[in-house]
Amino acid sequence: MLKRLTLALTVLLTAPVASAETFVFTAIPDEDETRLQQRFQNVADYLEEKLDVDVRFVPVKSYAAAVTAFRNNQVQLAWFGGLSGVQARARVEDSRALAQGVEDAEFMTYFIAHQSTGLEEGEGLSDEMRDMTFTFGSKGSTSGRLMPEYYLREAFGQPPEEVFSRVGFSGNHSRTISLVASGAYDLGAVNYTVWENEVEAGNIDTDQVEVVWKTPHYPDYQWTIRGDVDERFGAGFADRVREALLNMEDPELLESFPRSGFIPASNDDYAIIESVGKELGLID
Amino acid sequence: MWHSATVRLSLGFVALAIFCLGIADLSITAHEPWHELLRLLQGLVQPDISAVDDLGVALLRTLAFAFVGVGLGAAAGFLLALAFRSRLVRSACAFVRAIHELFWALIFLQFFGLHPLTGVLAIALPYAGVFAKVFAEILEETDPLPEHVLPAGSGRLSALAFTRLRDAWPHLVSYTSYRLECGLRSSAVLGFVGMPTIGFYLESAFAQGHYNTVGALLLLFYVLIATLRLWVRPLLVPVYLVVAPFCLGSGLPIVWSNVSRFFTEDIVPAPLRHGEGVSGLASWFGDLMAHEALPGIWHTLVLTQIALVLTGILALVLYPLVSRHFFQRRFDQNRTHRSGNAKPGNRLAHLLGHGLLVVMRSTPEYLLAFILLQLWGPSMLPAVVALAIHNGGIIAHLVGRRSNEVNLRPDAPQGLERYAYELTPRLYGPFLALLFYRWEIIMRETAILGILGITTLGFYVDSAIQEIRFDRAMVLILITALLNIGVDVFARHLRAKLRLRHTANCEP
Amino acid sequence: MSTLALIDAVADYGHQRVLGPLNLTLKRGERVALVGKSGAGKSSLLSVMHQHWRGRGAALMPQELGLVASLSVFHNVYMGALAMHPTWYNLVTLAKPFRRDVAAIRPLLERLSIDDKCWARAGELSGGQRQRVAAARAIHQGGEVLLADEPVSALDGPQSETLMVELTRAYPTAVLAMHDVELALRYTDRVIGIAEGGIALDAPSVQLTAQDLLPLY
Repeated sequence: MLKRLTLALTVLLTAPVASAETFVFTAIPDEDETRLQQRFQNVADYLEEKLDVDVRFVPVKSYAAAVTAFRNNQVQLAWFGGLSGVQARARVEDSRALAQGVEDAEFMTYFIAHQSTGLEEGEGLSDEMRDMTFTFGSKGSTSGRLMPEYYLREAFGQPPEEVFSRVGFSGNHSRTISLVASGAYDLGAVNYTVWENEVEAGNIDTDQVEVVWKTPHYPDYQWTIRGDVDERFGAGFADRVREALLNMEDPELLESFPRSGFIPASNDDYAIIESVGKELGLID
Repeated sequence: MWHSATVRLSLGFVALAIFCLGIADLSITAHEPWHELLRLLQGLVQPDISAVDDLGVALLRTLAFAFVGVGLGAAAGFLLALAFRSRLVRSACAFVRAIHELFWALIFLQFFGLHPLTGVLAIALPYAGVFAKVFAEILEETDPLPEHVLPAGSGRLSALAFTRLRDAWPHLVSYTSYRLECGLRSSAVLGFVGMPTIGFYLESAFAQGHYNTVGALLLLFYVLIATLRLWVRPLLVPVYLVVAPFCLGSGLPIVWSNVSRFFTEDIVPAPLRHGEGVSGLASWFGDLMAHEALPGIWHTLVLTQIALVLTGILALVLYPLVSRHFFQRRFDQNRTHRSGNAKPGNRLAHLLGHGLLVVMRSTPEYLLAFILLQLWGPSMLPAVVALAIHNGGIIAHLVGRRSNEVNLRPDAPQGLERYAYELTPRLYGPFLALLFYRWEIIMRETAILGILGITTLGFYVDSAIQEIRFDRAMVLILITALLNIGVDVFARHLRAKLRLRHTANCEP
Repeated sequence: MSTLALIDAVADYGHQRVLGPLNLTLKRGERVALVGKSGAGKSSLLSVMHQHWRGRGAALMPQELGLVASLSVFHNVYMGALAMHPTWYNLVTLAKPFRRDVAAIRPLLERLSIDDKCWARAGELSGGQRQRVAAARAIHQGGEVLLADEPVSALDGPQSETLMVELTRAYPTAVLAMHDVELALRYTDRVIGIAEGGIALDAPSVQLTAQDLLPLY
């Protein structure tokens, strides 16, 4: 039996000799993870057609996992959040932001509140919020963690743990909404596109939960590609990827992100995110 | 009764837990917790799998990871068990099993990435440590005499095969099959960090509140575990072991340079990497201890204490459900022709009791805590309840089984008196031994539940990983491991002091 | 081997001395009966002898027999010969015995009238049957000296005679702890009486009667 196990292990280690020239990408959509593989397979097919290489989509569970896969060269292209993009580019030489969603140039976070708090719609960050409970989204999210924390510190002059009686991390935006809607938390910070889409889809009982403040604009999600793809897939490959992304017009494909279209982006667009990240001690 | 060290110790534990209750945060913060629970129940009644990509593949992967991981773990654990006298081997085993498989998965994810090896090793490594310990205990308990009388010059392997191994074989097999069940749970839970098992979809479905999908996945998982005995047959196991490695999927190729980078760069403390020297390291470490490690340790200890005592109480309350002294067993009928005694009501109660305990112990505590957290909001309460349900179910099952070995005199009292005078006093020693045995496991699980947002050590480990600071994550994981080892040593000390014997082979 | 000797041998149980120090020499071909009341140190002495002489071909048949309950009678007997075969051979035998080993062990079991139990598990046998299996193992092992602790205690008259014959024929030298004094005197040529952890009597069997041994009990 031992011999058999050793054999099995050898097979296990050597089996995945997938073609070295498969272009792999990953993405964490900010909502709706159902049939992720199937939906992004369509994006992969689209890229495959435009780029003439094998393209594969790999789902991951967290921003950190996406950054790690990107850094480890297990994926070459990723749809990152603002913060995770900065983290990833800091770790991979010559990697660059290619494109962002139309909505991402002027992104926002909504602060939402359960009706029992008595807070008025659009009343801003006020001292009445002190000692309430508050939830971020996932720990590594830009719109669910980084920017809301930044604005909270700016408004209250204190870290969130001192402002609120309890601070949690829901894990993602959809869950933030449902936790605040159920009253598990009084307040939450949520990606505005997710909020708008859920309201539009009629998934939110706006009698129970409402938007109390909208942050100023900041840049968020973007496509980032590794610097060494030209070497591996041929000169000008990164530019061809950017072309393909910018030309993606099929609403069904864009729905997966969900964005209305993609526009060019550069590393410099995210300088503000980097400085906020450093200020909050989330980036060394 | 108060003079008994066992009773005094138990009361001490309960008092400590009550004190911990006072300082722990156990509030239900959800305004409509029952509404969510109702939705979950509706999901279980109306399961729907249409929202999952490839359910068949997910199930196959769940099984494959469990078989390969447990198979490798058992093989390695067996070899280590033979060398368990060596202090080095014992310490190494204690160390690898002190780190939860999810932490191992998070570590391997950093350099093997989404390769099947990540999931396989995450199971195989800690399991090898557990197997080594339990196998060594089982071998130790066999009769040493047959080996002693063997002629001088009998080869070590021959001697082992004919005597201790032969004697221990049924226990080794039954323990391994029990661990296979654990392996299935671990395999499923690994999906929460990105392995392509059933947990991957379960997490997504939960995150979005798709309770119909959640219900379907949960039901499938229970069916898988409940039918284990039907399809895991001695003759089929080798077939499964051979086939499983080919069913892991290919994942992404391993880039070996990442492995060396992890060890030479990622886990080197930041001050050393930036050349700030020992003083920089000291302040970095001090900061980590003060703001993350110490609060994490404190919360881990408090939560563990409450969960441990609640587990014990639950086990004591529930063990009669599976004890023949309270409910007639079904096969008593065939065996003794006393069928007149077996009331159908009793039989039903017996079946329900068994079913309840099976569901309790086959739900992974991680999953249970996750569900309760969704329902009740974030506090220690979901974690405490999840740990107590899962572990209480296991211990109740084992104590109940043990009670069936007790023979009562024909005129023994009935009902509550039977419970209080006849059975519980006889079973209390084994019960306490089992509980202390599970102490280490409860603490390991407590730490890991931090990933869900309860501020035990796992919370800070997860934060460090989300911030891509593996140097901090590694220090915190090491602290977690040391804490586990400490509790294990302490529990063993208590067991020895109270002379609590336990038989390894009935112990998960 | 010409003589086997114990010099200043002791045995401790915990902190308590249960045997010795004592000196004892055994000549080749000698058959020694160890007599004395229970607890006098007979088993301890046998165990010390086994420790010292195991490497020189001593076989031990302990009072608890040391059978593997889950193995068949055949395998338990075969274990006496483990040292004579390579490991692979032993492992194959565990799964499927070789014909020549069965042919060697069968007649032995026949002589002890347990051949009908050849493939039964040792754990399923009666006390007397188990004792004969342990004896068969010792006989199959062969060697220079047999150390047996109450080898016939669970057997009735004729059976114990048969077994004593077989045991003493298989080993040129033997040390047998026995409580049946008559039997001991008939099958041995030297009697060592043990009392309180020391040698209280050491004499040729022919010079002794059962009466002479009574003070030891």
